Amino acid sequence: MASTRRQFLTSAAALSFVTIASQTYAQTISGALPWHPFAGDPPQPSLAGWYFFKPEEARVIEAIVDRLIPADDLSVGGRDAGCAAFIDRQLAGSFGNSSRLYTQGPYAKGTPTQGYQGEATPAMRYRAGLAAIDAYLRKNKNDRGFAQLNAQEQDDFLKTLEAGKVDLGAIDGKTLFDLFLQNTMEGFFADPVYGGNRDMVSWKMIGFPGARYDYRDHITKHNQRYPLGPVSITGAPDWSHKG
Amino acid sequence: MKAIMKPSRIVAAVAALVVSAGIARAVELPFDQINAGRYQAALGDCAGCHTAPGGKPYAGGVSLETPFGTLVAPNITPDGATGIGTWSEADFRRALKQGIGHGGKRLYPAMPYTAYTKMTDSDVAALWAYFRTVQPVTNEVQSNRLPFPFNIRLLMAGWNWINFTPGDFKPDPKKTDEWNRGAYIVEAAGHCSVCHAPKSALGADKGGLTGTVLQGWFAPNITGNLHEGVGSWSAEEIVSYLKTGVGRGSIGSGPMREVIENSTSKMTDADLKAIAVYLKDLPASDKAAPTPVATDNPAMQTGARIYAVNCSACHNGDGSGQGALFPKLAGNSVVQQGDPTTLIHIVLAGSQGAVTAAAPTTPAMPSFAWRLTDQQVADVLTYVRNNWGNAAPPVAPDAVGKQRKNGS
Repeated sequence: MASTRRQFLTSAAALSFVTIASQTYAQTISGALPWHPFAGDPPQPSLAGWYFFKPEEARVIEAIVDRLIPADDLSVGGRDAGCAAFIDRQLAGSFGNSSRLYTQGPYAKGTPTQGYQGEATPAMRYRAGLAAIDAYLRKNKNDRGFAQLNAQEQDDFLKTLEAGKVDLGAIDGKTLFDLFLQNTMEGFFADPVYGGNRDMVSWKMIGFPGARYDYRDHITKHNQRYPLGPVSITGAPDWSHKG
Repeated sequence: MKAIMKPSRIVAAVAALVVSAGIARAVELPFDQINAGRYQAALGDCAGCHTAPGGKPYAGGVSLETPFGTLVAPNITPDGATGIGTWSEADFRRALKQGIGHGGKRLYPAMPYTAYTKMTDSDVAALWAYFRTVQPVTNEVQSNRLPFPFNIRLLMAGWNWINFTPGDFKPDPKKTDEWNRGAYIVEAAGHCSVCHAPKSALGADKGGLTGTVLQGWFAPNITGNLHEGVGSWSAEEIVSYLKTGVGRGSIGSGPMREVIENSTSKMTDADLKAIAVYLKDLPASDKAAPTPVATDNPAMQTGARIYAVNCSACHNGDGSGQGALFPKLAGNSVVQQGDPTTLIHIVLAGSQGAVTAAAPTTPAMPSFAWRLTDQQVADVLTYVRNNWGNAAPPVAPDAVGKQRKNGS
């Protein structure tokens, strides 16, 4: 397509504007590439205790993750897999405070595929959401919180929440349920260094060998089972031996 | 690389320089001699100690950690107050060949006068001519930071009496010119023994180039030993290693990386070949290859699993490495040194290849200190040292712990 004179003038003006406005230059590296001994920024393995949740919130979250992923023949439940600890660590960090997201207005309601588009950070949504659930249940379930319900009652409540049929006032129950489910699955399958997937339980269940660089030594071994067990960022139990 | 000036311009430049430095006499130095001196400075790796990283050339400031304490390489630019501007050529020759500086001050043998004593007078004269042309820099260096009693310079008179034999290099008439040229570079300006010779309790070379520990690294055996030394290397592989930093599946690391960058990569191919010929002909140390650690040893079994996850991506499952980028571990003589200090250092801290004109990519290995415990580092190294036909003593977790604590 031939450019018009107007297009040329506009782009020339834009070009000169860019040239004048930015006096930064591409960084030139000569000699060796930047490198430092002992460099590394590994994730810090989390210690015991709760970083974000108050004790009563932690009890509720543990009960929720244990209903979303109940213990069965295949694996331990979400509680024993550390899903609540994973969510706790995430809420205490950059996920919890949305520090790596654009969070300024305007706040339009998102489409279903866009998910939550509001102003609150995940940490605020968990805190307000758990408080709203607690208030709702105490009003409707004989002053009992989620952790005091039996398993059947817990499942029933979660199903109603997922169906968007629990009135939590200003909070959308379905969106809150989606957040819980999403983070519980992440905690179950993420690297154990982040607090969940304890002892790589989910990876053993599905036969995932961990984040390995490649499988070149095994590509030509057709119809043979991959022999190595899963490995975490922090290593694997079979990296240690006695004596 | 600086453009080479015409002789007439050099003389003029030197004259201008000397005048501006405040010395009221014009000196005429022939270009050929200055240029030859610049080459001698490369052979002797003067910059390795006397130029601080990012600092002005030869203005001093590199700290040398010795078993006796810290020494800092002095300013050797022709600055009158803080450099060697007031020295005479005779002072300079005496410092290099006898270890006695201006005004009779005893030098410490961290300055390798024990090797430079073998330099010919014409090479020393050329080096002197070159250093007269270096930009004078005012930089006061507190050189002697040794604790008592090592800070008494006169002690070195006694040290020299025991450990130092002054005298020129004596060519071996039974050998070729090339061999003798190699021997001269290795023993005199190149001062290879300063790192590669085992040391006595007094820190003196015990003879032979069978390797020793210094600054948290093990300078390897470079005798003709087939297992640990360079006996299995071809002359071309040695030349390639010294010229580019990469040779026979090895990549220079630690202090040798700096030697390659500042010194050997700037040598002529003929000189590098001469060094290779001489080293390969050095009497092999009599150390035989040990019996490899058995494959059913728990350390070997565990090491194999650690290797598969942490090392095989670059070094390959069969230890074959990747050309000039990732060292070949199988059959690598550096991997099989009796002393594992260098290997532990590289696994803990990581390493980066030398930057040379022929190999500017500087491939690097990351640090594994954050991921592997002392036991795991020891096991994976024991595995690497005893797999694919390699054989070397197992690595002890305590040795890893000690180096981790020392930051090396």
